[in-house]
Amino acid sequence: MSSLSTPQAAVPTQWSVPPRRAGILAGIRRRLQLGSGGLTLGEQQVFLLLAVIIGLFSGLAVVLFRITIEYTHLILFGSGLAIAPLRALLAPTAVGLIVALLVMRVFPRARGSGVNQTKAAVYIYDGFVPFRTVIGKFVTCALAIGSGQSLGPEDPSLQMGAGIASALGRRMRFSRDKVRLIAPVGAAAGLAAAFNAPISAVLFVIEEVIGQWTAGVLGAIVLSAVSSVVVARWFLGDQALFGIPVYHLVHPAELLAYAALGVIGGIASLVFVKLVAYLRPRLKALPHWTHYVQPALAGLAIGVIGLWLPQVMGAGYQSIDQAMHDQYAWRLMLVLGVFKIIATTLSFVSGTPGGMFAPTLFIGAMLGAGVGGIERHFFPWFTGSVGAYALVGIGTLFAGFLRAPMTSVFMVLEVSGNYSIILPVMISNTIAYLISRRYQHLPLFDLLSRQDNVDLPSMEERREEQALLVEDAMRPFHEPILSSQESVTDALNRLEGVSGDFFFVDNGRGKWYDVTKDMLRDAVLAWDSDVSVGSVLRGPPLPHVHPDHALDVALSRIGDAPYIPVVNRADLTKLEGVVSLDGILKAYRDSESLAKARRRSE
Amino acid sequence: MEAERRCQQCGQMIPWGERKCPACGDDQRLLWSLSRNELLLASLAALFILFIATTFSVTAYHAKEHSLAQQWYASGERDLAAGRAEAAIEDFRTALVYSHNNPLIEFQLAHALTVAGHLHEARAYLLGLWEREPGNGTVNLELAQLAARSGSVQEATQYYHHALYGQWDENPAEHRRIAGLDLAEFLIKVGQKAQAQAELIALTAGLPNDPAIKTRVGSLLMQTGEYEHASPLFRQALRLDADYLPALEGAGEASFEMRDYQAARRYLSRAKRLGALSPQSQQFLETATLIQQGDPLAPRLRGQERATRALAAFNQGMARLSQCAAVRGVSFDNGAQQSDLQQLHTQATALQPKVTARNLARDSDLLLKATDMAFQIEQVTERACGEPQGLDLALLLLSRIQEGANE
Repeated sequence: MSSLSTPQAAVPTQWSVPPRRAGILAGIRRRLQLGSGGLTLGEQQVFLLLAVIIGLFSGLAVVLFRITIEYTHLILFGSGLAIAPLRALLAPTAVGLIVALLVMRVFPRARGSGVNQTKAAVYIYDGFVPFRTVIGKFVTCALAIGSGQSLGPEDPSLQMGAGIASALGRRMRFSRDKVRLIAPVGAAAGLAAAFNAPISAVLFVIEEVIGQWTAGVLGAIVLSAVSSVVVARWFLGDQALFGIPVYHLVHPAELLAYAALGVIGGIASLVFVKLVAYLRPRLKALPHWTHYVQPALAGLAIGVIGLWLPQVMGAGYQSIDQAMHDQYAWRLMLVLGVFKIIATTLSFVSGTPGGMFAPTLFIGAMLGAGVGGIERHFFPWFTGSVGAYALVGIGTLFAGFLRAPMTSVFMVLEVSGNYSIILPVMISNTIAYLISRRYQHLPLFDLLSRQDNVDLPSMEERREEQALLVEDAMRPFHEPILSSQESVTDALNRLEGVSGDFFFVDNGRGKWYDVTKDMLRDAVLAWDSDVSVGSVLRGPPLPHVHPDHALDVALSRIGDAPYIPVVNRADLTKLEGVVSLDGILKAYRDSESLAKARRRSE
Repeated sequence: MEAERRCQQCGQMIPWGERKCPACGDDQRLLWSLSRNELLLASLAALFILFIATTFSVTAYHAKEHSLAQQWYASGERDLAAGRAEAAIEDFRTALVYSHNNPLIEFQLAHALTVAGHLHEARAYLLGLWEREPGNGTVNLELAQLAARSGSVQEATQYYHHALYGQWDENPAEHRRIAGLDLAEFLIKVGQKAQAQAELIALTAGLPNDPAIKTRVGSLLMQTGEYEHASPLFRQALRLDADYLPALEGAGEASFEMRDYQAARRYLSRAKRLGALSPQSQQFLETATLIQQGDPLAPRLRGQERATRALAAFNQGMARLSQCAAVRGVSFDNGAQQSDLQQLHTQATALQPKVTARNLARDSDLLLKATDMAFQIEQVTERACGEPQGLDLALLLLSRIQEGANE
């Protein structure tokens, strides 16, 4: 616990002030009436307050980041949608060189996935994200994305939020748990401001970074996400990332087309992940000097693609918007989807800093709208708007490529504000997710961390972990069960010939006790008259568990007892079986062997 | 665990992620020397400064965006006005990049897309606008026109009605009238004349005193077959401008359709004096003239004149009968299984010897019989050989007047 929440601690509650600044700070403290006797807040309250401040800082940072990207684009390419060929080739190449230099010499942590770096902060570095990374991400990503590299601003925004949160949280001297969780709080704020979608950001951070719903941090994450979105909307307006056209399901048969979209999205996700998985380690393994030119070469390749398909350059939000509004022919949209996969892979594997979220949305929108266009071409009588397909496509790629199924569904709902689209989204996302899972064991973020020789916990595996239950370790109890009302003599008579020496006593009110034959015999010798078993019992009742309890509950309750009773939830006097320490350990061992066998088979 | 993090020198806690004690080590930065509450206050101060800086940056950027959006929008309007729809589309799209979700730019883009024939794309933008403002008259009218171009009757009608009862920022009455007229034209085009009639009759109540508008509504009513409502509109237009040629033509045609051939001839003759008539009006004028000049049953005729007209009508009928029989391949020689044409021919041939100018002038019964025979011939031959021309048409129309009078 921190100093503020443990007033009885022997150590001073405030940091000692270096002598040369003592006078100034003391004056400020006196004026503000702060310090030991002034405003006192509990750690949780400060944590929540800090979450809001983190959200505000992150929101401002993301707003500035977005504007810097736009200015960079304006300076490099001019204001028109059409890009002059020379600029298309030179801008990403030249800026690629500058970015590489900055990343290699000044901001080495600016490359790589922000999600993984935030996870590393949580699971390895006790919540530590260097503030230099925030500056590095800001500068290098703004340059890279603004110069047309096929990357997005969301992942850097997420990491900037985490970095800001880490910088503030560490200086607040929270407990280890709190400092660890402060980075995800900032990450949610950064992502929420970048997406203008707080629910999706909160879900994503819980689904992909923390991996569990903990009440302690949920409030802080929500507060930071909301406050960052408020700031972003204050400055950038409350419009969604793209204008969403009206959606309605024209015909139930249309769901088949959405299922087809799920299959196509799943295959596209697979190709995308496999390309990244194949090329990234190979490019990393090239001689060190090549790392200075890889982003420039990737930029040049993207510029060449951009001569023909300028839409693939940059984050591509305008193109997503146009796809939503049915502005492209379906053939062009499919071509754009394919080339965006190539361009993004080149940008990402070359080590250029930037995120994969926006390109994923782009690819999904193009593939979705392409499928919608094909369907309208062949089955015009039951096809809704192409924009709806683009929207569902976004969710599909999100589910298949980033493997965040919950976020993918809620993101589409939040971005579209249309609940009726949930059915196609769920169908398409589930199919894409299952295809991606079946043919790509490791999700993208886990894959990237393994390639970087860091073993971060896989959130997908965590989600799918099946907790062992008491019923997996319990065994039937065949020995006689004694009643606390029966006489000791009767009890001894009943136990005659029974080999065991540990028996349960039921007091008839749901309490269970243990007794041995020796305890009963001693009672017969000690008292002349025949006494009840209840009067022989010593100590508190035995702890009991239920069959559906997690096995670690039994482990924590069993103590020194050889067995504890497993009783029925509806009738506490009904013994379902017993669980022993050996049984618990055996169950854990068996489950581990099973998991190994399953991993081997996969 | 917490105790392990305490500095052995000063006893204070070393924050997670830091190796050295910030207070005792080399790192004696100001931030590490602040208490938690002071740090919160310092954060708020920094937040305020960053907020101001962001406000300046964003304001400058928005101003730049605004200016770029205006520049591209103006360029788009110029291109659209010059008929360069594709260039206008590109301009409006660029303008939208700098003024995201701007309804005016989106509407103009949709309009340019419609002009360029990209109907699906235009519809997508218009639907987005419609979702934001379902009652916007302009958007509904554009959507209706788009649906009409795609031949989607139900959708077009629905959007036209939304436009009729929707919100218009300027001149709502005029815009509603335009929407109503568009709707009526569309309904006539798709053959839903009864519905078009209803829309037009509803429109007539609030028409301004403009001969052109009254004449347009009248003309549309004429197309639906609603001559009784059309005629007063033309007359109202003529009261406003007596020499308004389209109104004269409309009034003439309406009168003709209502079998007031005298009035029709009057309006159309006056129109002809003022300018060239449309082919239909010209034909109506000729037919009305023939009717007036050839009607044997017209009132206040002298006996000789009436007989001359009856003889001409009878002879015209006989000629028409022979001509129609020839076209249909009917022979008057075969006596068995007589058709309508053959029966008429038999009756007319029996009557023909008596039909002379002298007999007709003396015998009013014969005159009526001969005239009636001519009318019968015109009606039967119309059914067998289609609508006649010239004097035959005049006789046919006279036969209908007579039929109506008899009923």
